[in-house]
Amino acid sequence: MALVKEGLDLAGMSVEQLKLVKEQADMEVGLLQDSLSKIRTAATRLEIASTALHDLSLRPQGKKMLVPLTASLYVPGTLDDADKVLVDVGTGYFIEKTMTEGKDYCGRKINLLKSNYDQLVEVASKKKSMADEAGVLLQAKLRQAASTS
Amino acid sequence: MAPSALRELQHEIETQANLLSKLQKDTTKNHQVRKQYTIQLGENELVLKELDLLNENANIYKLIGPVLVRQDLAEANANVRKRIEYISAELKRLDGTLQGLEEQQHEKREAILKLQQKIQALQAGKSNS
Repeated sequence: MALVKEGLDLAGMSVEQLKLVKEQADMEVGLLQDSLSKIRTAATRLEIASTALHDLSLRPQGKKMLVPLTASLYVPGTLDDADKVLVDVGTGYFIEKTMTEGKDYCGRKINLLKSNYDQLVEVASKKKSMADEAGVLLQAKLRQAASTS
Repeated sequence: MAPSALRELQHEIETQANLLSKLQKDTTKNHQVRKQYTIQLGENELVLKELDLLNENANIYKLIGPVLVRQDLAEANANVRKRIEYISAELKRLDGTLQGLEEQQHEKREAILKLQQKIQALQAGKSNS
């Protein structure tokens, strides 16, 4: 049963149908909020990566460091050429880039996520206002039905 | 005999209802697979965009199991493009299947409705006689 959202005559619906519409709208709002928080998490991780990159670029070559082999095992090592970085671009592909290109990549991804986030916020707020409208009408209808019975 | 006709109709409805719920399960699975493919398609398109920004001599590595294997730009491009084509074809196929499933669901619902009406008529006939 596909409900066409635009052009839905909420005022002309019965209490049952209105309840269904509100439930469906609420569910969609929940899903959209979920996606929004996932985007925020991903953006945060990219920011951390970008900061780490920047920090790495400040370190001189040959600097002593501790390399994590597992979550609890670190081994001493020296920093090799910090100008080349391997970037994970997805589906198992890694691209060797220079430090500047790497920072550029992080910046690009963060901007992409930000624009996705903004678009999603718009859609989510529209859905939420629809759900609220349906809720208000539902209350009104219920009160009407209670007063007449 | 009226009661056995009633039982037969009820049995019919059960069968149709079972088929309907199976169709609904298939539709849900279709949606899930579609979602997965759409995500993969998006990821591959991102990779393609990144590869397009590279110049010829950039080093590309592909993760095969625990090994990073060196690949050149042309090969990586071809691989990603082929995957994108494959995923798009799969999505189209799933779309067709989904449409067929929805039509079948619709038919089943109508059949169930008709059977219910028959049962009601039969019961009304029994109470009248």
